[in-house]
Amino acid sequence: MDKKKTTKEILKEKIREGKTPLYDQETIKKTDKKFEMWKNTKVSEKDREKWEIVPQTILGSEIPRKLLYTPLDVANLDYIEDIGFSGDEPFTRGCYPNMYRGRVFTMRQLSGAGSPEDVNKRLKFLLESGATGTNLALDLPTVQMFDSDEPESIGQVGTVGVPIDCVQDMETIYDGIPIDEISSSIVTHYPRNTAIIFPMFLVMAERRGYDWKKLPGSVQNDVTMECIVRRAPEYIPPADAFRVQCDNIEFIRNEVPRWNYITLNGYNLREYGTSSITEMAVAFANGIAIIEEMQKRGYDPDWISERIAFFWSVGNDFFEEIARLRAARRLWYKIMKYKFDSKQSRSQLERCHVQTSGISLQRIEPYNNVIRAAYQALAAILGGCQSLHVDSYTEAYSVPLEEDSLLSLRTQQIIDVETGVTQVVDPMAGSFYIENLTDIMEEKILEEIEEIEKQGGYVKIIESGWIHNRISRFIEEERRKIDDGTIKVVGYNYYRQPDVKEPPIKCQEVSEEIRENQIKKLKKWRAERDNDKVESCLDEIVDACRSGENVTYKTLAAARAGATEGEMRKKFTEAFGLWKQPLVL
Amino acid sequence: MNEKKIKVLLSAYSLETHSRGIITVASILRDAGMEVIYIGNNRPESIIESAIQEDVDVVGITSMCGGALQLGRELMRTADEKGVKDRMKFVLGGIFPPEEEADLKKIGFELLFKPGATSDEIVNGIRSIVGSSTS
Repeated sequence: MDKKKTTKEILKEKIREGKTPLYDQETIKKTDKKFEMWKNTKVSEKDREKWEIVPQTILGSEIPRKLLYTPLDVANLDYIEDIGFSGDEPFTRGCYPNMYRGRVFTMRQLSGAGSPEDVNKRLKFLLESGATGTNLALDLPTVQMFDSDEPESIGQVGTVGVPIDCVQDMETIYDGIPIDEISSSIVTHYPRNTAIIFPMFLVMAERRGYDWKKLPGSVQNDVTMECIVRRAPEYIPPADAFRVQCDNIEFIRNEVPRWNYITLNGYNLREYGTSSITEMAVAFANGIAIIEEMQKRGYDPDWISERIAFFWSVGNDFFEEIARLRAARRLWYKIMKYKFDSKQSRSQLERCHVQTSGISLQRIEPYNNVIRAAYQALAAILGGCQSLHVDSYTEAYSVPLEEDSLLSLRTQQIIDVETGVTQVVDPMAGSFYIENLTDIMEEKILEEIEEIEKQGGYVKIIESGWIHNRISRFIEEERRKIDDGTIKVVGYNYYRQPDVKEPPIKCQEVSEEIRENQIKKLKKWRAERDNDKVESCLDEIVDACRSGENVTYKTLAAARAGATEGEMRKKFTEAFGLWKQPLVL
Repeated sequence: MNEKKIKVLLSAYSLETHSRGIITVASILRDAGMEVIYIGNNRPESIIESAIQEDVDVVGITSMCGGALQLGRELMRTADEKGVKDRMKFVLGGIFPPEEEADLKKIGFELLFKPGATSDEIVNGIRSIVGSSTS
């Protein structure tokens, strides 16, 4: 068998060298001469010696930065090839020609917590306050695919999200919300629970008379979440999780064509503990693996990738974040165009949702977090994100309450209408610094994709534990740097006040009643459904898992028959068996 | 400092998805010379079972998503039934509402570590509670 070429090798081979630089040689030469003179005469020796410094920020990439950037740092920049125009190849400047003038980023605050009834109210409140999409957080049992009445769920029903046990909970949550007009993001996390939960949404939709073909929204459906980021009592093998991920994609692409069938989740991976580069490299590696698998199943990469979406964390290193979002768009375009011979623009777009970094927020002096999140949000917008969630300053205390969510929404609205930054597309372009950093970020991400591919690709780095070990090393290293003050955190290890008091922050009250009510509802649900039908549908899930038939059609049938989430989870484990996550410590 | 290495068992409850905190704490304790056993996600009964098997000095629990009090009660009840509640020290880290802190202490968590607890606070805290019982 021929040795498979890496993505980097393919891009290097196919992308022509010999560009038309923005600056002519004469200008560069003159600038260089003047630059050397200036550096040697005007810049102090101390500054010359420390010309490059490495920024130390939480979750940063540690790419060295110069004291000053000049055209010399982008001497080979080809305006048309490397930057171009918005909504046009190579999409460095943005996915759409008019960007936020055409449509401002979707203000999509995550909401959940409480009973299905509570969450329905919260969604309506946010929509009435100007939110333009819904973003549903699930509680821990639902994320982990346990029913509310299983003993593991004690104390955790409705705490960090909403419980969904079966179709009736979906009906309550989305009651009165026009799901054909307002796009619904459902944070399903894993492939397995996407296969279980999303069909419940579809059954709710068909009962309300909606045509699936018209529904806009997204699910997460990401193996990274199931097999890398997640801690759980049990796992299925990564190759099987990958297969379920692709079954979901195939099902959704065919049946719910306007739906983003995956949100390649860099966010949680990075927040767990990776640099901004690994975050994107792993997500892209999964994206590449998906398209290759779909090709094997007979689909055209152009058709498949129309609905790929990405999800990034934006942290504190302001300019790096802007550059990185620009670099990601250009790199994904190149991968689609040169690796997968994509012919249509829509399939080459790296559309992304951004959430500000939760891990960078502090419990101490929590109001400082408002400032941190606002800068992160600004970076996300200058980087050209399609939708945004701003973390609440109370993150280290509790799930955000209604007024906290409102403040996050207001942060976005202030940037949008009061600062004027959304009026001009990609305003940072052309900065010597930003363009240089964009090039470096692209190169580094591509190098890490190659590192992954050389080990056998996305699924292999999970099976081998390479990624898990990389993460635990990163976490340890970052902790040491915060301990010794290398990474400065204002108010925490930098100018910390003695005996600082925690301000009174209202926390979410969790009532055990939510679980009791869910249990009552479940009992009634199970008594009223056709249990023989449910049993046979559940058995078909096992059969499909084993035979290779698309399993999402089977979970859909089970959801229609009234199967619960926990019942379906057990069938996946029965069919695939258990996998032991490579130990992190 | 104690001559005997302090032995710590770390666990999360069954459904906890987060582990960055506990991985961080594990590395802090190990750097401080303690023996750390991290057993992943478990029901309260099996946490106690492992703690007995490993004969640890300290049981450290992480809770990031609520349920700390309800599950804590179950953990302490089991420890009590197995007769190890006084033999071991229990500490809790994570995110929990300030109003629950008093109750968490009352049921038996001697130390509560919230986000932002420093490495020194964690190490010294554990040394002091273990020291106070063995000396």
